[in-house]
Amino acid sequence: MSRVLVAEDEPAIRKVVRDAFEREGHEVTAVIDGREALERFGEEDFDLVVTDLAMPNLGGLELVQEIRKRNVSAPILVLTVKNEEREKVRLLDAGADDFVTKPFGVAELLARTRALLRRRESAAPAAKAQWGDIEVDLEARTVRKKGHPVHLTPIEFSILRTMLGKPGAVWTHRQLLASVWGTTAGVTNDTLRVHVGSLRRKLEDDPNRPHWIRTEPWVGYRFAPED
Amino acid sequence: MPKTMKGTTRWVGYPASVLVVAATIVLLKLFPALTDSSIALLLLLAVFLCASVWQSGPGVLAAALATLGFNFFFISPLYTFTIADPRNVAALFVFLVSALLIGRLSALSRRRLRLLEAERRDLIALTQLSQGFLSDTNRETLLGVAADRLRQALDCEQVGILLADEKGELSQRIETERIPYREDIAELAFRQGNSAAYPSELGGTDIYLPIPVGLQRAGVLVARGLRSSERLAEACALLIGLAVERERFLRLTREAEATRTSEQMKSTLLAQLAHDLKTPVAAARGAMENWEAADGGSGASRLAREQLSALDRRVTELMDVVRLDSGAARPRPERVGCGEIVEAAVARFGDALADHTLFLEPPPPDLTVEVDPAQLTEALGHGLENAARYSPAGSTIRVSAESRNDEVYLRVSDQGRGIPPGDRDRVFDRFVRLEDAREVPGSGLGLFIAKSLVALNGGRLRLGESEGGGTLFEIALPRGAA
Repeated sequence: MSRVLVAEDEPAIRKVVRDAFEREGHEVTAVIDGREALERFGEEDFDLVVTDLAMPNLGGLELVQEIRKRNVSAPILVLTVKNEEREKVRLLDAGADDFVTKPFGVAELLARTRALLRRRESAAPAAKAQWGDIEVDLEARTVRKKGHPVHLTPIEFSILRTMLGKPGAVWTHRQLLASVWGTTAGVTNDTLRVHVGSLRRKLEDDPNRPHWIRTEPWVGYRFAPED
Repeated sequence: MPKTMKGTTRWVGYPASVLVVAATIVLLKLFPALTDSSIALLLLLAVFLCASVWQSGPGVLAAALATLGFNFFFISPLYTFTIADPRNVAALFVFLVSALLIGRLSALSRRRLRLLEAERRDLIALTQLSQGFLSDTNRETLLGVAADRLRQALDCEQVGILLADEKGELSQRIETERIPYREDIAELAFRQGNSAAYPSELGGTDIYLPIPVGLQRAGVLVARGLRSSERLAEACALLIGLAVERERFLRLTREAEATRTSEQMKSTLLAQLAHDLKTPVAAARGAMENWEAADGGSGASRLAREQLSALDRRVTELMDVVRLDSGAARPRPERVGCGEIVEAAVARFGDALADHTLFLEPPPPDLTVEVDPAQLTEALGHGLENAARYSPAGSTIRVSAESRNDEVYLRVSDQGRGIPPGDRDRVFDRFVRLEDAREVPGSGLGLFIAKSLVALNGGRLRLGESEGGGTLFEIALPRGAA
């Protein structure tokens, strides 16, 4: 059981989200805007925050910034709308962990938050991990697909290791570039795209329709753990 | 003022000079102790006075009178014009030359001073005019005030400012008084940029000056009975040009600002409307999902959920159309790789392609276009959805990008039945769906939206035939500067 804080100004949506999390066995606190969410944060701790983007008084972006300013590490998932890619990038760069685009399915929302909560339980990523038919040993720097060793270039391995550090979370292009190359200068999104493409060809069953390494259009990439 | 100077004062100068010189002589006679050289110097002073006050004519008269007077009253033998000492002849000659020179020099400096004064007045007039122009931002009042001020500044009888309209006719006219002027000369000044000046029947000059704006001409400045310098008039024409241009820029800026504000308002209102329409649908769908999860669900609940999803898509499409129609869908272009567009469209609309084989031809990494990424993703996405809808499950959908000449092509081709050539234009109209597609769900808005989005980004969308006889969906975009 986790304690979930839901900030959403639309009563109907708030009820739907609350019901969904309660059915999963979580303890839900639902508030109507960012300001009230911050007040609650002063009173108790939460394991997960689900917030709407556009709210009166204090919006989602400001809420994320305020929460991170207080050094709270609880994962934050933001409910956004279609075609707001710039806003999504801003949210992620401000410290949000993931977003779900409205209109979202309840199942999708729950699957995303499950991944975020799981990561919170096991803070340090395990040295060895298995995702479907992919086995990764971060210490030995080996990767196997269907039991066969896969050779990854250092950059491909670095991309994979970075994303496995937060399975399920979205990485913006900038975050990935900074983490893998150490700089965002001189490397373009297109360079990143080429390396991710080659990584997909080695790991994915259908690289054109990737299952593990998903594209978040105009935002970045996500390593999607099995739901 | 120069007029009175030239007329009355000069005429007065001659008797006045005679009086001044005579008075000086009488005064000098009262002091017999004075030496000849002192007398000569004091007489020269009188000449200088006359020349500087009444200029050259009276100055020369004063010089001659002073020489004669000096000879008659002060050089021995007194009271005759004869000179006993031959040295005094030379002295008298030197006196005459000095008197003439002093008269000339002082008259000259006086004239220079007056010119400077006139230039200063012109400058003040220009400064006041420009201040007047710059403080007024309304074209009509600006020009009305301008004409009046110009008449004063230029010291003329009538001022006309003729401005060209959009058709290049000198239709807008601001005149201080209705006195007819030469239309043909005004026309010539405007068309060819020649200025013209004629002696005026009103006295002074009639002048026709083109009003320049950049390399063009905004109109003509007519000044009749001009008595100040033509140079000042030219400077005024330049000033009017600047004022007209400034007023035009201000107006354009204001218009742009107004358009922007109204577009922003529309955009905000539409976003609010979309939100209000979609929230209940989304909530109903979520509630249905919760219900199914708690209850196991049924065929009926699944149908309801699917229909709510379909309703949500329709609302989305309708709002897209409204946004496109109202001009609120403003593209925000960025330089993006074609590979990114393809990848984004497949990621977003990939679910619709679950039953098909997807074949992506990776475009060269340096193939970029300058477009709004979200809008292009959406347009290409509609192509993918269409391909998935109208080609059989299991068949291949091919996505490719190619650069030819100055254009970049993004293509989606399928292995469906294709669209008959005669219908390929018609299907872009809103709500048009072909007869044999009735069974497939769809609103008939997708292609219309796609075409509008592509057009907004400077591209073209066309439908053709793919290699296997299926449909080819092709977006052509200008390659733009790399």
